[in-house]
Amino acid sequence: MSDTATLRAGTPQKRRSRGIPERRLAVYMVAPSVALIALVALWPIIYAIWLSLHEYSLRQAGLSRWAEPAGLGNYTDALWGDESADFWSATRVTFIFTIASVILETIIGLAMALAMHSAFKGQGLLRTVVLVPWAVLTVVTAIMWRTIFDPNLGFVNSLLGTNTVWLGEEPQALMVMIFADVWKTAPFMALLLLAGLQVIPGEIYEAAKVDGANMWQRFRKITLPLLMPALLVALIFRTLDALRAFDLPKVLTNGANDTTTLSLLAQRTFQENRLYGEGSALSILTFIIVMIVSFGYIRLVGGNIRGMTEE
Amino acid sequence: MRVNRHVAVFLGCAALMGGLVAGCGDDDDDGGGGAASEETGTTEGAKVIDVASMDNAKGEVTFCLGKDTSGDKTALAKQFNEENPGITVKLLEFSTSADEQRAQFVQRQEAKSGECDVFYSDVIWTAEFASQKWIFDMTPYVKQREAEVIPATLETVNYDGKFWGMPQQTDAAFLYYRTDQVKEPPGTWQEAYQIAGENDGIVYQGAPYEGLTCDFLELAYAAGGEVLNEDGTQAVIDSPENVKALQFMVDGVKNGVAARGVTTYMEEESRRYWESGKATFMRNWPYAYALGQKKGTAVAGKFDVAPFPEFEGAGKAAILGGHNYVISVFSDNPGASLKYTDWMTQKESQKEMFLNYSLAPVLTEVYEDPDIKKKYPFAEQLQESVAQARARPVSPVYPQISQAIYKNVNEALAGRTSPEEALKTAQSEMQSALETF
Amino acid sequence: MEAASVSQPTQAKRRKKSGAVGSEPRTPWWLWLAVAAIVIFCLLPFYWLINISLKTGADLSGSDIVPPSPSFDNYTSIFENANFTKALRNSAIVSLVTTLLGIVVGSFAAYALARLQMRGKGILLAIVLSITTFPQIAIAAPLFRLWADVGIYDTLIGLVIPYLTFALPLSIYILVSFFREIPKDLEEAALVDGATHFEAFRKVVVPLAAPGLATTAILTFIAAWNEFLLATTLTSSPSARTTPVAISQFTGSSQFEVPLGTQSAASVVISIPLIILVLLFQKRIVAGLTAGAVKG
Repeated sequence: MSDTATLRAGTPQKRRSRGIPERRLAVYMVAPSVALIALVALWPIIYAIWLSLHEYSLRQAGLSRWAEPAGLGNYTDALWGDESADFWSATRVTFIFTIASVILETIIGLAMALAMHSAFKGQGLLRTVVLVPWAVLTVVTAIMWRTIFDPNLGFVNSLLGTNTVWLGEEPQALMVMIFADVWKTAPFMALLLLAGLQVIPGEIYEAAKVDGANMWQRFRKITLPLLMPALLVALIFRTLDALRAFDLPKVLTNGANDTTTLSLLAQRTFQENRLYGEGSALSILTFIIVMIVSFGYIRLVGGNIRGMTEE
Repeated sequence: MRVNRHVAVFLGCAALMGGLVAGCGDDDDDGGGGAASEETGTTEGAKVIDVASMDNAKGEVTFCLGKDTSGDKTALAKQFNEENPGITVKLLEFSTSADEQRAQFVQRQEAKSGECDVFYSDVIWTAEFASQKWIFDMTPYVKQREAEVIPATLETVNYDGKFWGMPQQTDAAFLYYRTDQVKEPPGTWQEAYQIAGENDGIVYQGAPYEGLTCDFLELAYAAGGEVLNEDGTQAVIDSPENVKALQFMVDGVKNGVAARGVTTYMEEESRRYWESGKATFMRNWPYAYALGQKKGTAVAGKFDVAPFPEFEGAGKAAILGGHNYVISVFSDNPGASLKYTDWMTQKESQKEMFLNYSLAPVLTEVYEDPDIKKKYPFAEQLQESVAQARARPVSPVYPQISQAIYKNVNEALAGRTSPEEALKTAQSEMQSALETF
Repeated sequence: MEAASVSQPTQAKRRKKSGAVGSEPRTPWWLWLAVAAIVIFCLLPFYWLINISLKTGADLSGSDIVPPSPSFDNYTSIFENANFTKALRNSAIVSLVTTLLGIVVGSFAAYALARLQMRGKGILLAIVLSITTFPQIAIAAPLFRLWADVGIYDTLIGLVIPYLTFALPLSIYILVSFFREIPKDLEEAALVDGATHFEAFRKVVVPLAAPGLATTAILTFIAAWNEFLLATTLTSSPSARTTPVAISQFTGSSQFEVPLGTQSAASVVISIPLIILVLLFQKRIVAGLTAGAVKG
């Protein structure tokens, strides 16, 4: 007993003479991840920051200059200068898209997960079916949606009895984009939430049923709280993914009709227009916005994330 | 306490890496005088190709291109290799997407990589590459062959008074029309739209992308409008002629003469719409001809093509598509690259390309060839189209110019802004792009 | 006694819904409806994809819901294309290696962050999360140069490294939350019995976290399988290209024609391994649960 008490107190155990000390083991176990991240992600980020502080000539090879004032010219342009209309419009579109998509995905994903969790025949097959949207290439499904929503070659208009040019009007184009994204990622949410549901011990439900709790009460008092960790992870990652949406708007509309997201704007500026300074600044700004959102999440649900790492 | 130490280490590493990056950053100004802000592009000091290096050239040449859709480049490269034992041409194929191809080439040039010796450059990219001095100044070579090629194609390689590549393949769009609904090709665009209104309408490419720039300029140029001034430094797109052309297109959409959904259509969607028999007219490239005639389409045997008609009260125009052969300055074998380029633009290869692979050549004499005329019912129309064709604006900031056009034209077509407003916005966007450092 | 009286109303509810009398819970009708809705929702565009893949020639221009003259031509032609089959092989290798390494590297880091004592955990979690926030496009170009200099441009290992890196954030976060769910008593019992921390991890925690590992594996595999941007930037020859890139190179008869038929067929084909994988992994998830049921 005393040994266990010592363990719980967190002080090094006298008995252990074999095996690597805890702290060192921790460093070893974390090292591969850190090394990969430093190599693959850190260098490009730093390089991008460097690029964003300069302007590179489109007319003369190799010519560049410090972006006035103080290297921040590209940032000031984007935030309140010449490019600000595009930047804030893209920010607005990105946020609307993210909020709408994530809310819908969570609700539908949760419903799917609950349905998949209930025992019935063919459950395994259903889980596989549900993953199909996530499994097919985004680019390919975007092309499918373009055809399906086409007023002449698709069937949505005949189905709904409308005559809209879906991808050609605001805000219909954004609505289609949200729909396409929800279609693709509700299954992703469902998978994550299902895994979370599956670790909730059945006994708790039995006990609750014995205590007379009905389905709704069981859901609210048991399922939701115990699902929180999985739900949180799913939410964070989906939000971060949605904030960086690129493939979908590019293929669906190429950003037309008010569907240009931040990533699309950054890519167009960087790659198509070869404005490396401005494009990098837009990437960094996107990065900062996404970071703010993720810290916001962590703040909001503080206990859970910090709790992930507390003893 | 602990957190601070880790943060300090992290920032220290960042600073160190930042220092390393500074050392190998891209901000050296080699070539071009070092002046901090020159307003006009200058290509002084660009490498000039040595025509004599063609003789006795040997070695490997990597030819970078998009996926060899027609298969002609592969077949012709094989033939070239056989006829020129000392030189081996290898193909490096990128994606079918034009944007991807450009990105791949730009990436290599930025990295100063000689992986691509020759690149199959879309006509709209050549000026960009020239302004960055990524490709050889080929004036001495091109000047020798100037008289043989269709003049309009030379516009696309002409930048800053020099020639930067050799035109190799060209393309110009047609007005497709249903022979069972239209007795003879209309004489003016206005007539075309009127006939379309009485029948099944017209379909074209109205999505906001490069294709819309082509479709719009075909009407705008015909109406007498321009995009840039003579020396390419000012935007002049906001002009009464252009407004007239745009208004004409907008009216067509409003009246339902243009297919519903045209504002989201690219080449393939409009072709599919046309092939299901839903339209009387279509604007599209020649590739749709053979596909439309295939058994099973609703239009097989029921259509023909014509060069674009006149814009009432003004003139005729078409937009030139196609590709140029450009040679990378980082190539380690410019001589062999030039030999390959030269071979691909001689009469035999050009005729072979057209006869067996349906790709339009740049040499005028090929169009006169009787075999060609026999095989392609539309050879004559194609020649006429190409003859009246013009290049799109030649500028190092072409991507931004094109965006200004297609974004705003699409807004007008969708009815969200008036033609006047659209062109005013386009002009100011273009102007600020032209003034980039 | 209580159980019986409580289960009466529940059974009665079920009886009302399913209309059947019995002591076994019958699947309620609304559940079947939900399932049907889910299936249609998920499969409709995929059906459309299959629909197009079975059409050839002029049919592709039509909008028929069922192919008027279905044929497998598209499928045979993509398999005759040597580049496509090579790309399939490349994708399989890259995805498998990424997944296996990802599980190992990710679970190591996740365990350290969830259970072991170390400093700077918050910072590390923040850094790991921040990787996912950076737009891919800004990573591609610098990586191209770095890889070209180092010499792993146009190789499979050149793809595995970045894929592995970008798989880490989600893997780590999922596994951290899974590891945390496992009661500490089990590990502590193992430690008391003389196991090292690492052995406790290997023998106690990992088996219990099987659902989490399986989920992470599936998601990592799918992400690697479908990744396009880095694949197209960091490879240039068929010996290293993966399937998304190969599909983007499918050609029609000209630069403008988009070969919808073959592209759809290829997309269907590359979705199949993923579907099979999920079918297989499901059993692992369930087995993992029943074998090492998480008991308090």
